[in-house]
Amino acid sequence: MVNEEEKSVIKPVIAILKSETVKKLGTQQENTWCPGCPNFVILDSVKQVVAKFIDEGKYKQEDFAITTDIGCHAKIFDYLNLSGIYCLHGRAIPTAIGMKLGNPNLKVLTFAGDGAAYSEGISHFIHAFKYNPDMTLVLHDNQSFSLTTGQPTPTSQQGFLSKSEPLGVFDKPINPLKLALASNATFIARVNARDIKHMNEIFAKAINHKGFSFVEVIQDCLIFNLDANHKDKMMYKIEDNTDLSLAEKLVGEFDYNSKEGKIPIGVIYQNEKIPSLEEKWPQLKSLMEKGVGWKGKDL
Amino acid sequence: MNINILIGGAAGQGINKVSDIVSNVLSKYGYYTFNYRDYPSLIRGGHNFNVLAISDIPIESHSLKMDFIVALDERTIETHKSELKKGGVLVTSEGFEDEGKNLNVALAGFLIKILGIPLKNLESEINSQFKESEDALISAKKGFDKAEKKFSLKKLNNKISILSGSEAVSIGARNSSLDVYIAYPMTPSTNVMNEMAKNQVENNLMVFQPENEIAGVSMALGSSFAGAKTMVGTSGGGFDLMGESLSMQGISGIPLTVYLASRPGPGTGVPTYTSQSDLDIALRAGHGEFPRIVIAPGNPIEAIEKTSEALLLSEKFRTLSIILSDKHLAESEFSSDEKLKKVERFSVVRDVPGEKIVKAASYEVDGTGNSTEDAVLTEKNADLRVEKYESLKEYIVKNMEMIKIHGNKDSKNLIIGWGSTSGAIKDAIKDLDAKFLQVMYMKPLSPQIKEEMENAEHIILVECNVTGQLGRLLREKTGIKIENRLLKYDGRPFCVDELKEHLKEML
Ligand SMILES: Cc1ncc(C[n+]2csc(CCOP(=O)(O)OP(=O)(O)O)c2C)c(N)n1
Ligand code: SF4
Repeated sequence: MVNEEEKSVIKPVIAILKSETVKKLGTQQENTWCPGCPNFVILDSVKQVVAKFIDEGKYKQEDFAITTDIGCHAKIFDYLNLSGIYCLHGRAIPTAIGMKLGNPNLKVLTFAGDGAAYSEGISHFIHAFKYNPDMTLVLHDNQSFSLTTGQPTPTSQQGFLSKSEPLGVFDKPINPLKLALASNATFIARVNARDIKHMNEIFAKAINHKGFSFVEVIQDCLIFNLDANHKDKMMYKIEDNTDLSLAEKLVGEFDYNSKEGKIPIGVIYQNEKIPSLEEKWPQLKSLMEKGVGWKGKDL
Repeated sequence: MNINILIGGAAGQGINKVSDIVSNVLSKYGYYTFNYRDYPSLIRGGHNFNVLAISDIPIESHSLKMDFIVALDERTIETHKSELKKGGVLVTSEGFEDEGKNLNVALAGFLIKILGIPLKNLESEINSQFKESEDALISAKKGFDKAEKKFSLKKLNNKISILSGSEAVSIGARNSSLDVYIAYPMTPSTNVMNEMAKNQVENNLMVFQPENEIAGVSMALGSSFAGAKTMVGTSGGGFDLMGESLSMQGISGIPLTVYLASRPGPGTGVPTYTSQSDLDIALRAGHGEFPRIVIAPGNPIEAIEKTSEALLLSEKFRTLSIILSDKHLAESEFSSDEKLKKVERFSVVRDVPGEKIVKAASYEVDGTGNSTEDAVLTEKNADLRVEKYESLKEYIVKNMEMIKIHGNKDSKNLIIGWGSTSGAIKDAIKDLDAKFLQVMYMKPLSPQIKEEMENAEHIILVECNVTGQLGRLLREKTGIKIENRLLKYDGRPFCVDELKEHLKEML
């Protein structure tokens, strides 16, 4: 038992330790996101979650490797002191899978936008669920190609007016969560970029998931596609779900188009019975057992 | 001595088995063989043929005119009878109607007898190829017994092995202990993938087939970044798709080796035939300016050595190395008694994630590995890429065999060629007053090439493409335009007899 007095001593020490690790995860790079951009919150959340894993002694800072796409979201590469590749547009997912082929022991996190993964890299998005590598995809969905000044993406709502489509978007948006489920996803979650506590919780669960974990972050862009913003009122938290038929219902609740209805956030589906890429391939399994990548295979 | 045998039939009839058996028996008997495979893009039916050339001295080509035609079907007779030499023999399935699926084995037996090779050599080959099959042996013997001896080949003491270019690339990669091979199926690169995949677990490597070539090359960059010796394989269209990632290699400096096997383009072109028309894209694919190495082996022995060199150089200079081959090299079966040069072994020594914090980017970066748009750094990084090219060039010029000179070294008649065309050129000039300069490093180019060109009185360029791509490259680098060009671009490689006739006219 720790008495009240001791508690008050221990707590700040832990807090300082944590913030030291969080600090180590940052860089000196000047931040160029617009003031107030939700990407700041996502960055903070990632740092806190990764720091916690490090502080708990589960992983070292060097065990993490990230890939980022190209876009506003992808600037997170410069702000995280973690190994990684700042990839070509659309290719953050296959590059990350490649890292796992090269060293299955790496803890890999991928950051991609809705333009990046649902448009340019959609084939990789679908196949990632099939391969099921043990890694995490953080998908920054602001329903806009923001870094290229606000063109519509596959999740932009009908009627969205932009410089590139002044007649308005004719098509209904795709539903990437439905697509993920249809592609045999083993982990699908959705979070709200405004709720860092919930985001921390879900990111940690995603990283702990044994297989490909997909977390869609609903985030506003403060400059482009303003009509898509402020969906908070529609969001509600769900319990972690492992039931497939419930998942099928949940992924259908939000169509990315209307401002009506509900947006479930939390773990929408998880299935840990499906073997991961690293478990399926004997070569990777053996590297995992030795705790090395190919570079250390002869050790 | 040079005997050419055409073996033709419908896809699925097993013509490859005939050339397989005959060339194995012959190589164990000390003879050199070369087997050209000609087949359309279909799985059953149609018309396939092989040309098996046999010689008592090394050969790497086949002829237009045949000593024998072995026809498993009527269409072979119709299509090829005009290629039979005066006094040549047509072997048909007549008398073998009952052999069923072993018709090919029977015809192989028939050929072995014609060549005058003892029955026991045929028997041991059949036994090793068809472990438990009595039927195969009976058919082979039946074929043997029906034939009449036309030649009396004496046993020779050459120690010969048979290899295709694809097997060779795979051997070279394994000699350098490649870890990860990534490829999406596309003729004629697929055989390397199949070769590597065969015993991947025992060979301690991994072969991955991704959803498309863009995924494949992206994965390769990730895998290499993580410390694995990594290679991707593809053909023209797939290579085009990889273009942007080659450029990504250029800026990030993540080592990457690409195996590019050409076929006639543009577009889907003529998928199962051959062409040397992808030199231009090998040299230039990918936006921006960045260093690279392009190496074009001409036969399997070179393919083994050059694949190892490509992997070594990619890692050493953190650069892009492209091994440029084509269908003719990839799928023809060559025989050789050459000894391999010693492989330079290497390990990945750079820092990798898991050990250190390492960053790589598709953006220009500063010293911390983070992105930058700074003018001074932009210029400096570009200069560094040029310096990298200069230093790899210096290393290659000093350490690697970049060209080969064949034929009469004192001749003033210089023939220039590269890649799979080299075999036919080497064989065609055997009794001509000509020297053949075979270019193996297409980038960087050997400084010796210019000297050779300046010293020659008469230069002929030989290539399998319509614009003379090596010729254009040499003109760019040496200022010398080659006026005499022998270009073939019908999807078929040069036959040695046709090439020799052309060269004689031009010399
Ligand atoms: C091959 C290629 N095509 C286009 C671009 C231009 N481009 C840069 S960022 C971007 C869109 C990014 O949108 P998204 O992924 O949604 O990220 P956001 O900026 O909204 O965070 C595009 C199209 C590129 N860099 N590369
Ligand atoms: S444009 Fe939008 S997404 Fe990009 S930094 Fe600004 S607010 Fe964030």
